[in-house]
Amino acid sequence: MAENILVVVEQREGKLNRVSWETLTAGQALAADTGWTLAAAVVGSGVAGFANEIAGKKVSKVYAVESAKLEPYTPDAFVAALKQFLASHPAKLVLMPHTYQVRDFVPKLATAMGRAAISDCIGYKKEGDRLLFTRQMFQGKLAADVSFTSDAPWFVTFQNGAYRGDKVEVGAAAAPVETVNVDIADGVVRNKPHEVFKEAKQAVDLTQAEIIVAVGRGIKEQKNIDIAKQLAEAMGGELAASRPICDSGWLPMDRQIGSSGQTVAPKLYLALGISGAIQHIVGMKGARTIIAVNKDSEAPIFEIADYAVVGNLFDIVPPLIEEVKKAKAGA
Amino acid sequence: MTLIFRKPLSDIERPEMPADVVIVGGGPAGMACALRLSQLIDEHNAKHPDSQLSKENIYVLEKAREIGQHCLSGALLDPRSMRELLPGFEKEAPLDAAVSKEAVYFLTEKGKFKFPVTPPPLRDHGNYVISINRFVKWLGSKVEETGITIFTGFAGSELLYDGDRVIGVRTDDKGVDKENQQKSNFEPGYDLKAKVVILAEGTRGSLTKQLISKFDLAKGRNPQTYGQGVKELWEVPSGRIAPGEVMYTMGWPLTSREYGGAWIYGSKDNVVSLGFVTGLDYPDPRLDPQRVLQDFKQHPFVAKLLEGGKMIRYGAKSLPYGGWWAIPPVAGNGWMIVGDSAGFLNSARLKGIHLAIKSGMLAAETAFEALKKDDSSAATLGAFQTNVESSWIKDELWKVRNMHQGFEHGFYAGMFHTGLQMFTGGRGVRNRYPGTAGYQHMKKLTELPANGGAEAHLLGPAKGDGKLTFDKLTDLYHSGTKHEEDQPAHLVIQDTNICNARCVKEYGSPCQNFCPANVYEMVEDSAQPNGKRISLNPSNCVHCKTCDIMDPYQIITWVPPEGGGGPNYDGM
Repeated sequence: MAENILVVVEQREGKLNRVSWETLTAGQALAADTGWTLAAAVVGSGVAGFANEIAGKKVSKVYAVESAKLEPYTPDAFVAALKQFLASHPAKLVLMPHTYQVRDFVPKLATAMGRAAISDCIGYKKEGDRLLFTRQMFQGKLAADVSFTSDAPWFVTFQNGAYRGDKVEVGAAAAPVETVNVDIADGVVRNKPHEVFKEAKQAVDLTQAEIIVAVGRGIKEQKNIDIAKQLAEAMGGELAASRPICDSGWLPMDRQIGSSGQTVAPKLYLALGISGAIQHIVGMKGARTIIAVNKDSEAPIFEIADYAVVGNLFDIVPPLIEEVKKAKAGA
Repeated sequence: MTLIFRKPLSDIERPEMPADVVIVGGGPAGMACALRLSQLIDEHNAKHPDSQLSKENIYVLEKAREIGQHCLSGALLDPRSMRELLPGFEKEAPLDAAVSKEAVYFLTEKGKFKFPVTPPPLRDHGNYVISINRFVKWLGSKVEETGITIFTGFAGSELLYDGDRVIGVRTDDKGVDKENQQKSNFEPGYDLKAKVVILAEGTRGSLTKQLISKFDLAKGRNPQTYGQGVKELWEVPSGRIAPGEVMYTMGWPLTSREYGGAWIYGSKDNVVSLGFVTGLDYPDPRLDPQRVLQDFKQHPFVAKLLEGGKMIRYGAKSLPYGGWWAIPPVAGNGWMIVGDSAGFLNSARLKGIHLAIKSGMLAAETAFEALKKDDSSAATLGAFQTNVESSWIKDELWKVRNMHQGFEHGFYAGMFHTGLQMFTGGRGVRNRYPGTAGYQHMKKLTELPANGGAEAHLLGPAKGDGKLTFDKLTDLYHSGTKHEEDQPAHLVIQDTNICNARCVKEYGSPCQNFCPANVYEMVEDSAQPNGKRISLNPSNCVHCKTCDIMDPYQIITWVPPEGGGGPNYDGM
């Protein structure tokens, strides 16, 4: 088998993943150390543009592995495409960035070909004829050097940041680009991707809220949260909670105030049925005005409250909502 | 909400790593063991250039994020074993003060009686007041200097067996969510395949518990008995207590039916360590050891000492006081048990650190022989058992072998037996006093006066005035405990129906009282037969193991949460 290295760069949704440059740098270093040739491949549909971009770097050749079935990304299509490509264009060492997409299909690709993958490497060493790839263990406390005993192709993925993407060498002349059309039979792709969505990082940023209505254990039941919500809406504030409420799943974690949640300093903090354990207080004591409603006159929340209402929140909140609405309508 | 409990994930591939020796737990016992092993290997390698032994595959697992963070004690150090381990250690170890003055008091509600003569076990001249946290940190740095790797943030979750042989330790799975599902940062626990596994987990070690149960090691021994120590660290105005001044108290707020007492140690820089050890064999399920400490502080004698001071840290931990007859076999096929995990603690002196260190050293000597011979079968490791029995560990523990059992029927009977034992070399009325597991002393509510009777003053949760006394959550805040929130509960309850249907009625849910960290809570739930349901706040846990020990139905198993979580006992 030819002694060569193939770097599979990553593109997704019309963008080249910048980590690809790091993997290319790693490939160039390996090629220099071993004397093996270095080629690159980009997999997808209509990826010639990327191939040309990569051809400007120091590589012997760039392949555009094409099929209409490669867009949108599915692990089935990528595995089929790369398997086919590697059959016609054998490579000894296949390098990829350790991205979510690669993590998704590489185990399947390696297993389908009966080969091994060494994933998430931070570097390599050459000991005589042997190539060793370094992986972290025990959260980086130990590093293990791992080598292949199986036949080629050897799959290796490199950790984000293991190499410098800006150190990738430019070629003397543009490398030739070859388009390789792969044939992915019907029925091979069993995955059916839905629309891509981004999980909202934080639905609500309580640190920006001027008014916060927070509920605690005194709210008793999940269905009662609604009255606090109504009050928050009437006042134009955000709803928040102490830990037991979020622990019970009555409100999402991003609405938790306190030492294991968010720290806030709104203009007005209305605490409903919150006893005021220190774990909660450290998260809201910076509020300019604190109003606390609690049945227990000895609740510690009253020590830091500016206004203390001793009473049942279920008696107090509904009329309060009405009054706030009235006042707002009047104003 | 249904509770979902932590268990090592099954059907996943785990990375394996070969090891010579794995020490589970980086406290005084584990660190002393690692250090002694390194010394022996160095000596051997200097003498035998042709047969070098490596230290590269000796590992210490420590569940705390940093060395020493989960270590809690009074603490007084008897330097005997340290002088053997590192002669001249006093010059570099963080010792806060040499004991300069000592006194023992018996407290009544308002008054106190000083023992005219300090009982011999409590004579502490020659010992040092230390912060066990700083001491272990220092010891750990010594271990790291030798080239032995300490894996901080990694807990032992399971022992690996091959038939009746222990062949390694599995570490905790990381990145598992509340439902036991893998998160995006999932990292499976490692299988460390070890020639020798040394359990140095501290009191009621979770792997030790698995081992004891698997091989029925408690058979023929007295049941282990425990106390719960609740500690606060205070800064007080200068002149209140001298560095190295040591006081012990008995009596108030406990009655004659509970076992326990307090310590007050003067450290440097006007820092006072004080705490109360309550025997985990009290009868009334409403008793709350954290409350006991709060009551103790209100005694005029203590309140005066602390007045104008500030509480800076809080912690709680269980300690084993069953003594010699409760220690299980400490060596077998591939394994050894050291320190508090085995029960090497002198309850008459309230001291175990020196014994933990000594037992760790002895285990290291046996592990070294095993490495040299490349044989870690019971035949080789059994030497540890014999060496403990011919060491001063046994001499010391033999004299007090019946001490705690003598108190099973209350304080006055205890004083009688202790007195008698003192004159008979520890024998008392018979060579071996039997013992009862502490939880079996707990009485049902129907057997107790509704108003608490003589114990009324110490039942229920502490209120706290925010200056001298603190409610549990406020105290807990000062433990600095922290865990990854999105993980399964590590307090494994075998059957929560017992909590909801039986315990709430029969014992009034004592978990809420004996837990010093508000982990256990009975919340209202109209769907339950008694209108209440058990709820857990696992991230409050301070790893004291009391629930595992004291629950009257023995249905709670404490397992380590994701490594790195737990209290932060800096300076404690």
